[in-house]
Amino acid sequence: MPQICFYLHLHQPYRLKPLSIFEVGKQKIDYFSAKKSDDNQEVFCKVAEKSYLPMLSLLLRLSKRHPQFKVAFSISGIFIEQAEKYSPQVMKLLRKLAAQTDQVELLAETYYHSLSSLFSPAEFRDQVELHRRVIWEKFERQPVFFRNTELIYSNDIAEQVAQMGYVGMLTEAVPRYLHGRKKTQVFASAAQNRLPLLLKHAELSDDIAFRFSDTNWQWYPLTVERYQEWIANYGAEELVNLFMDFETFGEHQWADTGIFDFFERWVQQFLSREENSFVLPTEAVMPYLEKTAQRENALTKIRAFFAGLGKPDAMKVHLNQKKLAALPVYDVPEPISWADVDRDLTAWTENDLQQDTIEKIYRLEEIIRGLGNQTLLDRWRRLQTSDHFYYMCTKWSADGDVHAYFSPYASPYEAYRNFSIALADLQETLI
Amino acid sequence: MQANVNRVFMIGWEYPPHNSGGLGVACEGLTKALSDDQQLQIDFTLPYSPPEKIQHMNVHGCVDESWLDDENYPTQPPFSVYHQVPVAFEAVDLKMLDRYKLTALPQSILETKVEQYAGKVLETGASTDQDFDIIHAHDWMSFPAGIKLKQKTGKPLVTHIHSTEHDRTALGTGSPYITHTEYEGVRMSDRVIAVSGYTKHLLVEKYGADPAKIDVVHNGIDPLITPPKRGKHYFASKRPVVAFMGRLTLHKGVEYFLAVAKYVTRQIPDALFVVAGSGDMYHQLLIRTAQERLTASVLFSGFVRDRQKEILLNRADVFMMPSVSEPFGLVALEAAQRQIPVIISKNAGVSEVLKNSIALDFWDVEAMGKTVIKILSDRGYASNIVEGQLRDLNNLTWDRAAAKVSQVYRKAFLG
Repeated sequence: MPQICFYLHLHQPYRLKPLSIFEVGKQKIDYFSAKKSDDNQEVFCKVAEKSYLPMLSLLLRLSKRHPQFKVAFSISGIFIEQAEKYSPQVMKLLRKLAAQTDQVELLAETYYHSLSSLFSPAEFRDQVELHRRVIWEKFERQPVFFRNTELIYSNDIAEQVAQMGYVGMLTEAVPRYLHGRKKTQVFASAAQNRLPLLLKHAELSDDIAFRFSDTNWQWYPLTVERYQEWIANYGAEELVNLFMDFETFGEHQWADTGIFDFFERWVQQFLSREENSFVLPTEAVMPYLEKTAQRENALTKIRAFFAGLGKPDAMKVHLNQKKLAALPVYDVPEPISWADVDRDLTAWTENDLQQDTIEKIYRLEEIIRGLGNQTLLDRWRRLQTSDHFYYMCTKWSADGDVHAYFSPYASPYEAYRNFSIALADLQETLI
Repeated sequence: MQANVNRVFMIGWEYPPHNSGGLGVACEGLTKALSDDQQLQIDFTLPYSPPEKIQHMNVHGCVDESWLDDENYPTQPPFSVYHQVPVAFEAVDLKMLDRYKLTALPQSILETKVEQYAGKVLETGASTDQDFDIIHAHDWMSFPAGIKLKQKTGKPLVTHIHSTEHDRTALGTGSPYITHTEYEGVRMSDRVIAVSGYTKHLLVEKYGADPAKIDVVHNGIDPLITPPKRGKHYFASKRPVVAFMGRLTLHKGVEYFLAVAKYVTRQIPDALFVVAGSGDMYHQLLIRTAQERLTASVLFSGFVRDRQKEILLNRADVFMMPSVSEPFGLVALEAAQRQIPVIISKNAGVSEVLKNSIALDFWDVEAMGKTVIKILSDRGYASNIVEGQLRDLNNLTWDRAAAKVSQVYRKAFLG
């Protein structure tokens, strides 16, 4: 049996409210929440009830019942903001989980769940730093392992992440860059400073995330035994990375599909054999960290490792480049992601609607960053959230359904139209 | 035999507030003036029952029973597809044909609808004891009814051409049925009213109409009750605003408006272009805007009416109507009335009367762009245009239009 690295992503965008051109330049528009009915609150509370609360409770129970159960989370900064405002109970559960330092890891990412890694190195760095601070502030945890928005990855991004001092990164295993190699091993980035990489096992992840309730699927309904059998195909030295959206549990797959029960029983069954284990991302890359005398012990015990990190300012973990040189290289010259069939950027940056608005957003960068007005900066950054561009996607295929499911708009055109009004207002404040 | 026209049987299609364009507005202005100023009694038919009481004439809702059961029959006014525009009468169970959607129907259905309307109008016409002197039919949707009523009653028919299929569609792609209906309407009528010399010319050119049978009656405009409150206090106060208002269709030339936006924003990056309207080119225009990288410089408001329309016109620094073909273009008068310099296509009927506006070729993006820039940067130039336009408006009342229409009635009546 392989080791399992189980990772869940928590994020909710600030959706724009329907904006009117007649409000442009009124200086007082809150783009994101309408006075009467706040869509973001509505969505958050709905998803909290269906997914966040039941699944977090389940994860907490499992982590208490099974010391060997481990889970990593990435929690976007704007998720944390909304959780605090709309559902303090979600925060409470997250804090309880985060306190289980040897079973739960919190990953680094951009605060605003943005595409800044593709368009602005300075903005990317700042948003990652903002996120690192909020994670420390809310959970007293120091993230050392990185996950980019939508697992977007390229050699260039890996280099930026390595330079920021992170010890590893998650991304998608894309066949065109794997060249037939096993994705169940640790890879290294193809960059100046090598970075250990964990690649998502798309098949086994998507069996749960996408196919679980698909009645047309040949394996429907998926049983714990069958899933266990598939996992057993991998050897003890292998690492199966199950990466998915947190909302898989209860939102994408509703409770009545049996998803919660399935998961609970699978964890139980998997851990019933003593040799089976879960690993946290940082644990998986520990062999590639620089050993120092005082950290000798820390490198074998994850709890001690995290405790040894101390406060954010004290973060000093180094990768052993010599050891990394022995790893297979994952050479990704063009950005990939975990989205859609092609695992590329087309969900956010393919069409003119997306390119026009993204270009405009980053054209405003110099002037907005120069002003140092925090309110303005925060507004601009909320508009960078990748979801806004996802809503403008016009791809028409199986992916189109997924896009439509997540969009608050009647069409990609409406998404563009509404977003343009927010941009025009932002521009007005800069004149 | 009486020598005067006293009562008119008028066949309409839309009427404010349930109008999708200028036709309804023109019908309102004209009938009010005919009734008040010319003392005419008017029976007016519509293919739906208007929920509001209209005081100055007898309105007859001519609704075929089959429409009420037809699920495909549009139950909402066209503009309510833009959900961000609050539509006050949404709750009203209004069964209405949208003449633009109608054009998209398969021809057989289209014919059926118009024929059914003609049938109901005929019934209504008969029930008035044929106590009218003139039949006045507005645009092609009402022509079959007008012709039938004329044949049945022997009363003279006046057709009123507010637009032709040639204005509404790209070259040669118009519906043969509509074209034929327009042709027949013009042929069968005793007199024809064209909303402009431009339209008269089209009728002569395209339908071989006898120019002697056609009178040009330009639309009027009601004076503003309260003077416009111009100013930057409405929205986008720090940016110059250039407005377009009309249906988003090929003949309105919205693409040229976007091209001008591209041209102008190169020199005035903060200029804001507002596209107000709805129509079948909406998505295409949004894509075009994105292709030209004009987000935040071109905004789409959706269909505007009443207060929003007023705000946009009061706010705008320039109004553009780059129509490829425009029989009249009433909204240009509204813009002029609200003291906005108007740039207008030479192919717009309204340019015949709004002589102090700037008339240019719709395809000449550079000339239009330069004019926009000049208006935005030269206050004296802008106010000269505005003053001139206001002088033009003095002659453009519905009373004057009604007096001319009354003359046409007389000609038709006396034969």
